[in-house]
Amino acid sequence: MATRVNLDLHDELKAFGGKDLDLCYNCGTCTAVCSLADEGSAFPRRIMHLIQVGATERLKHSVEPWLCYYCGDCSAQCPRGANPGEAMMATRRHLISRYDWTGLSRRLYLSNAWNITAVLLVMLSVVGLFAFLHGPVVLDHVALNTFAPVHWIELGDLVMGGVLSFFLLTNAARMATWILGDVGMPAIPISAFVRAIPEFVVNFATQKRWRRCGTAQGEAKQNRRWLTHLILVSGYLTMFVLIVFFLKWFQTDAVYPIYNPQRWIGYYAAAALLYGTVVFAIGRWRKRDEIDKFSAGTDWMFLILLFLTTLTGLLVNFFRLAGWPLATYSVYVLHLAIDAAWLIVQVPFGKWSHFLYRPFALYLVKVRELAEKAAAADAEEAPAAA
Amino acid sequence: MSDDTPTPRRIGVFICHCGGNISDYVDVEQVRQAVAGEAEVVTAKTTMFACSDAAQQEMTEAITQDNLDGIVVASCSPKLHLFTFRAMADRAGLNPYRYVQANIREQCSWAHRGEMPAATAKATAIVRAAVARAEASEPLATMRIETQPRALVLGAGVAGLRAALALADMGLTVTIAERAQRPGGWAATFGRTFARDRSGAEMVEELLRRVHEHEHITLFTGAELIEKSGSVGDFTAVLRVANGDTVTLNVGAIVVATGFQDYQPTVGEFGWGLPDVVTLPQYKRMLDAGQGLHRADGRPVKTVTFLYCVGSRQGEEVERPNRYCSRYCCTAACHAGIVSAEQAPGLHQVHLFRDMRTYGKYELLYEEAQRAGAVFLRWDPEEPPVVASDAGGLTVRVKDRLLGGEELEIPTDLLVLVTGMVPRENATLLNALKLPLGGDGFFNEIHPKLRPVETVANGVFIAGTAQGPKTIAESVASSLAAVSKTAALLLKGYVDLEPFVAEVDEERCTWCGKCLDACPYKAIEKVAVAGKEVARIIPALCKGCGGCALPCAENAIDVKGYTDEQVLGMIDALLEEAAE
Repeated sequence: MATRVNLDLHDELKAFGGKDLDLCYNCGTCTAVCSLADEGSAFPRRIMHLIQVGATERLKHSVEPWLCYYCGDCSAQCPRGANPGEAMMATRRHLISRYDWTGLSRRLYLSNAWNITAVLLVMLSVVGLFAFLHGPVVLDHVALNTFAPVHWIELGDLVMGGVLSFFLLTNAARMATWILGDVGMPAIPISAFVRAIPEFVVNFATQKRWRRCGTAQGEAKQNRRWLTHLILVSGYLTMFVLIVFFLKWFQTDAVYPIYNPQRWIGYYAAAALLYGTVVFAIGRWRKRDEIDKFSAGTDWMFLILLFLTTLTGLLVNFFRLAGWPLATYSVYVLHLAIDAAWLIVQVPFGKWSHFLYRPFALYLVKVRELAEKAAAADAEEAPAAA
Repeated sequence: MSDDTPTPRRIGVFICHCGGNISDYVDVEQVRQAVAGEAEVVTAKTTMFACSDAAQQEMTEAITQDNLDGIVVASCSPKLHLFTFRAMADRAGLNPYRYVQANIREQCSWAHRGEMPAATAKATAIVRAAVARAEASEPLATMRIETQPRALVLGAGVAGLRAALALADMGLTVTIAERAQRPGGWAATFGRTFARDRSGAEMVEELLRRVHEHEHITLFTGAELIEKSGSVGDFTAVLRVANGDTVTLNVGAIVVATGFQDYQPTVGEFGWGLPDVVTLPQYKRMLDAGQGLHRADGRPVKTVTFLYCVGSRQGEEVERPNRYCSRYCCTAACHAGIVSAEQAPGLHQVHLFRDMRTYGKYELLYEEAQRAGAVFLRWDPEEPPVVASDAGGLTVRVKDRLLGGEELEIPTDLLVLVTGMVPRENATLLNALKLPLGGDGFFNEIHPKLRPVETVANGVFIAGTAQGPKTIAESVASSLAAVSKTAALLLKGYVDLEPFVAEVDEERCTWCGKCLDACPYKAIEKVAVAGKEVARIIPALCKGCGGCALPCAENAIDVKGYTDEQVLGMIDALLEEAAE
């Protein structure tokens, strides 16, 4: 089957951030310097080429963009300044928008106006919801659970979690169908899907593949970045578990002593989130490393909203401890507004989805690997039978 | 013949050590003793470096003191020092054409290291043969020809016009003959040209204005050269001009700047003949027209595909392949891509190339075309692109080497065949000039590096793309090179020709005409001498090739400097050595 060339793909990828990719003359230096390029593979050169020749369909079936962590070795060494690293990043954004069947993701990525409007809209809705539906406002002491009863908040959490999971998982299902539907994919036995699960779990929790990155610029730098990211992830996951599974314990008017896990687990998570977002934001501001040189509006939105969510969360806690009822209630509403905006815009439609897509891509690679092994084993038996 | 030369001759022989280059492998003293015994050798000496000032001084003294009438220096290749020793002989009052060089270094010592007895014997034979040639030598004189301060330039393209202006500015009278009805050549048909976007038409217009204003330049259009006779510095050229009349000119030199033709694809070659398939020159005209790009059916062009190397670097798949690269087309196509992007923003471009040869500073245009959004894809001559057309338009299918040979299907509105340059068909001119063509069918220079605009015909120079594919800049550079060679020849006022030409013994000659047929230079004429028809050589035209001497049944023709007597004498000397 011939691949039909679609030259609009260029403009599309340029819109998603791969501004310089036209300059690539396919020398292959990117693959030569990439520490993740296995022998014989054309990673990331193949993706550059697919974009160049407008192989829209082939790109859709490609898993490679998810296997790149943007250490920037390729961009630093590119003799043409074609920025393969940024092209991979742009491709990930492009793929996220293609996995998303609602079409919202595309809008949010390609238009800052859409992005900001969406965020403001969600925030206003949350504020509006509270304006009409809040509980009694107790002013002589802090009674957050009277102002915002925890079982209502929990219900809201679950509803939102359910809706977002629906979008995200249906998108992930499309991703799996496309990647496993690539040409040359062997038949996949059910057992492969099960046996590959550990690959997902390990990579979800550790991002260990990232540690193979960036040898040309020094391992220390990449390891530091990986560690910062790991700390951020740990803070995020901790907070996620606290809020989704232990909200009644976490959002309480009772003040626990400082040594109580309720206090320090929360503080750890908040500290990790602040540290991670601030370090990454500073990096993007200074633009010293390749990965930090180009930031899309969505990259900033991701960091800023996550930072503000954490900050307002901390403030709620401090105002509560200080015994300032009105400040606590209003910042709490703001906190939920920012958090909801961040989650609704970023989880299924934006940058957050890499949380799922990256380990999922590695899982799919493993599935393919297992399927190929099974096919090879079958092929060995088959001639004997014939 | 040397009948009137007094015998015995007085020959001097100088054998060079070349600082060991010769004497380490050849016993030069033994060679000296061997030739010293020859009857007509008066003096035989060895010397450490024959080319040194001291040795040359010693030789000039020997020539005078011993009253020598011929000398042999046995040393290196004559390519190195023939003129050194000829000049030395001249200084000593000896006719320089009575000097003979024996090459016992390249042709003996260097080739036979570690075999001294045999090498010495061979060196002795070589020197004896040289002595035999010197013995039969006669004094010769160069021929001085007065040059005409006029030049004929063939072709009024950018190269020809530029050459004419430069020659006329130096005070020479110039006639330009342009075969077409309209002067200006290819460049006049071009709009924006690389590398600096200057309009070819405007450049030519400016040149033509200056040509018309110049009092020393006459421009004939619709004119072609039909006959050329005479020799370097003094040619007679006959032009057939527009109204069918002939014009005869007397010129000192001719500059051939007749240009190229663009390659015409054969029907079916990469889709040639299908609607919306054009060549690069045609596409450039579409761009220059500035009417926007439209398909044959009137729809606007959204995607244009450039297919490079059409008619260039061909292989066995065609009958008479153009094997060469036209060198300008890659850059021209990139430049056309840049212009296209400016004229039609959002236009998609695919450039299917074999190897990108945007050499030198043109590399920047390649990059600029990429920045303008042109996609470059390399194709393999083993599996060339295939062009098809249906109701929807054109489709180019090409195997993508970076996707493991996977086939890409490129829907395109317009296909531009990036065609190269081919030699002009010009039988009349070829017949008149009698210039040999190179393997590619373009005019050939004598030496691609050291004599890039001279031809085997003295006084005929080549300029521009008549010589092979060139950019406009390169054409002008080569035309100015031809100008400098022309001016160097004509402004000096005379030219000295080597005396190695054929000579007819009029007594023996019975005029059979065979020599006339054999001569490729039209250097033989039939004359009547004392009521008898004989052949006569026109020395200024003769190249001394000896072609006429061979078919002469009467043995009436000899080439000076290489007479039968000399050559037979050398053979005898070599055989004598072998017999010993």
